Amino acid sequence: MLNFELKIKNLKFIILPFLVQLFSVLPLAAAAQQPDLEAQARQIAAELRCPVCQNLSAGDSPSELAQQMKGIILEQLKEGKSPDEIKAYFVSKYGEWVLLSPPARGFGLLVWVLPYVVAVAGIVLVLLVVRRWTGKKGRQEPSAADAALLARIKREAAIEAPAPPERESGSPRAELLQEQARLYADLRELDFDYRAGKLSEADYQDLRNTLETEAVLVLKKIETTPARRAATAPKASEGKPSVEKKTAPTQASARPGWQLAAGGAFLLLFGITVGVLLTKSVRPRGSDQDSITGDFLTGTGPGGMAGGAGMGGMGASPSRDVAALLAQGRAAYERQDWSKAIEAFKSALAVDPNQPEAHTYMGLILAQAGHADGALMAFERALSANPKFPLALWGKGMLLYQGKQDFAGARATLQSLLEILPAGEEKNQIQKTLAEINEASKGRKEGPKKVKAEAAAPPARPAAQAQGQQIRGTITVDPKLKSKLDGKAVLFIVVYQAGSTGGPPLAVKKIDNPVFPLAYSLGSESVMMAGMPFSGKVTVSVRLDKDGNAMTKGAGDLTGERNGPVEVGAQKVDIVLDRAM
Amino acid sequence: MEPSRSAAPWRRLVITLAVLLPLIGILAYGFMRDPRYINSPLIGQQAAPFTVTLFDGKKLSLDDLRGKAVFLNFWASWCPPCRAEARDLEAAWQRVKNSDVVFLGVDIQDTEEDARAYLREFDVTYPNGRDLTGKVAVDYGVWGIPETFFIDPQGRITYKHVGSLGTPLITAKLEEARAGIVSAKEGKGSYQTVR
Repeated sequence: MLNFELKIKNLKFIILPFLVQLFSVLPLAAAAQQPDLEAQARQIAAELRCPVCQNLSAGDSPSELAQQMKGIILEQLKEGKSPDEIKAYFVSKYGEWVLLSPPARGFGLLVWVLPYVVAVAGIVLVLLVVRRWTGKKGRQEPSAADAALLARIKREAAIEAPAPPERESGSPRAELLQEQARLYADLRELDFDYRAGKLSEADYQDLRNTLETEAVLVLKKIETTPARRAATAPKASEGKPSVEKKTAPTQASARPGWQLAAGGAFLLLFGITVGVLLTKSVRPRGSDQDSITGDFLTGTGPGGMAGGAGMGGMGASPSRDVAALLAQGRAAYERQDWSKAIEAFKSALAVDPNQPEAHTYMGLILAQAGHADGALMAFERALSANPKFPLALWGKGMLLYQGKQDFAGARATLQSLLEILPAGEEKNQIQKTLAEINEASKGRKEGPKKVKAEAAAPPARPAAQAQGQQIRGTITVDPKLKSKLDGKAVLFIVVYQAGSTGGPPLAVKKIDNPVFPLAYSLGSESVMMAGMPFSGKVTVSVRLDKDGNAMTKGAGDLTGERNGPVEVGAQKVDIVLDRAM
Repeated sequence: MEPSRSAAPWRRLVITLAVLLPLIGILAYGFMRDPRYINSPLIGQQAAPFTVTLFDGKKLSLDDLRGKAVFLNFWASWCPPCRAEARDLEAAWQRVKNSDVVFLGVDIQDTEEDARAYLREFDVTYPNGRDLTGKVAVDYGVWGIPETFFIDPQGRITYKHVGSLGTPLITAKLEEARAGIVSAKEGKGSYQTVR
C-alpha cells in the first residue's frame, strides 16, 4: 500500500557525479593525440597524494580536486615542464606531504630506514629467543650422575678459592677454569644477596639452579678437556664453551609473577585504548557500497559527494552520524528488512529525537504493520519537527484516507503537500488521490441518510456495509485504582477478532484526556487495515497508557477487559479498568 | 659481564618500555591529529598571481590589487561552514570597504547557478569570481573550505585560516595584513573538505 518514493532529490545525486566525471574526462580525451604526455601525467599523478583523500594518489582518486590536479599536470607538461618541476610545484603549494614517497632526508628518512631497522632488530630478537629456549632445555635436566658434581659444587662454591693458575692461559682448559671460578663467585654473591633479603625465595632458587647447572656443565668439560686435548682440533673445543658461556647468563630467570601480571595489564590497557579510539574513528555503514569510514579515507563517501552531510574535521562522533543511519534505514526499508530499518531509524532518533525523516519512516513501517495510531503519531512527530516534510505529509494523508477514513483530515494534509511539491508525476498522483477522496467523502455524507431508505441498493464498499455497526458501552475505573489516574494519560480501546492468537488488533480507538465514566462507541472508522470488515465476534480490552504510546506497555498503565467475546453491534459493552501494570 | 643478576628484570622492563612507549606515542599521535589537516607552506610567501572573471563579467587580477590588503576567500555554495560565515564576511566588508582593503571571493567546484543563488541569499556585495579549472585553488593549496588568505599590500600572504571566520578575527587579521605582520601559525575552524 505504501510504495511511494520521493526520488526527486536522489536524482540530482545520481546525475551530478556523472556529469562531473564526464566533464573531467573531456579535456583528457582532447589530449589523446599526445598519448605519451597523458601517460606521463598519469605517472606523475600516481606519485602525488590526493589532498582530500587518505592514502590515495591523485591518479587513483575520483575526487574533483584530484581530477583538477591531473588537468594541471597535463597543462604543465604541455608547457614543457619536467616531471620533477611539476612535483616541485605541488610541493610548494601543499608541502612535502603531497608526495606519496617522502624524500629520503630529515624526518622522511625515518620512513625509509625504520622498516629495515625494525626487520633486522626483529630477526635478532627471534634468534636470541630461540637460542635461549634451546639452551634452557639442555640445562634443565641434570642427570643422576651429575648429583656428585652438584654436591662438589655446593661444597667448593662456599669457600673463596684462589684464582686459577694462569700458566695455560689462552688454552680451553684455562678458560673453563676461569669460568668455573666466575660461577662460584656468582653463587656466593647470590647467597649473599639472598641473605641480605634482596631476592625472593623463588628468584633465589631459580637463579641458583641455573648457576649450578652451568657449573656442572663446566666441571664436566674440565674433566674431559685434558684427555681429549691431544686428539681434538682446537677450534672444535674452543667454539662450544664460549657459546655456552656467553648465552648462559642471559638465561638468568624464568618470569616471576609480577612480570606476567604487568604484561597482561599492559596488553589489556592497549586493547582498550585501541578499541575506544577505533570506535571513535569509524561509523555505521550507510549502505553495502559504503565503507565504515565513509569519506574518512577516500573523500568519496556519501558525505563527500553529497556535500553537507560529512562535515570533515568537525569532531562530531561518526558513530552517531545521523545521515549514515538514515541511509542505512532507507536501504533496509527498500529491501523490506523491517527490523533492520527500525533499528537504524531508532538509532537516528536516539541521536536526534526530532529527526523528521526517521519519524516518518517509523510511521510508514508502523502503517505497513497495521498500527495506524502509532503510525499517525510518528507522522505527527515528524511534522512537528518539520511541518513541510513531504514524505510525512504524504504518509499522514494516505493513512487518514485509507486507514482511518478521515476524509477531511486527509484532504487538508494532502493539500498542504500539493503546495510544496514541484510539478511532476508525483504532484499529479496526489491530485488524483485528492479527487478520489472528494468522491469518497461525498459518498459518505450521503451515506448515513440513505442507509435505511435504500436497503436494497448494494453498498459501494464492503466497509460501508458495516458503517452502522458499532460497539458501545461505558468505561469505568475500579475505585481502588482511582488514585492512580493520570490526567495526561491516553486511553486505548483495542478490539481483537475473537479467537485470534496474535498479530495486529482489528481495531483501535484512541481517546486523549479521558474522563471517567466514559461512554464510547467504536465503529469501522477505527479498523486498522483498510478494507477489513468490522463484524463478527470480537474481544474488547482497554488500556490507559501513561506515556501515550500505543506500542509500549509500561508501569503505571491501567488495563481492563471484557470477559468473553461480543458481537459487533452490541450495546452496553461495559469495561472496568481494574488492573495496574 | 653481568654485575648483578637481581637487576636483570628491571633492565628488561626498561628496555621493553623504551621500545613500546615510543610506539604507543606514535599511535596516540596518529589518533589525536586530524588526518585531513595539511599545514600550508605558503604563509609568509608571495601570493600566487591569478586572474578571475567576476560574476558581473569583469576580470580581476591579484596584481591589480597591489598596494592594498587583500582578503581572499575560497568558498562553494554546497559548503555549510561557508554559509555559516557568509554574513559575517559581508558585515566585515561593509565595515572596511572604504579603507585600502579589498575582499575577493573565489568560488570553487560549483555551478554558476548555485553560486549566484548563494551570493543573492547572503547579499554579498564584494567582488566574487569563479575558479573553473581548479588552478587558483591548487595555487593556494586549498583542501578544506572556507579557506581564507590575508595578503599584505606587498602581495605577501600574512595569514591563512581554514574554516569559518568571525568578524573580530577578520578585523584583527586585516589590521595585521595592512601592517605586513606575518602570523606564525595558520588558523583553524570548522571546515568542509573539498570534493
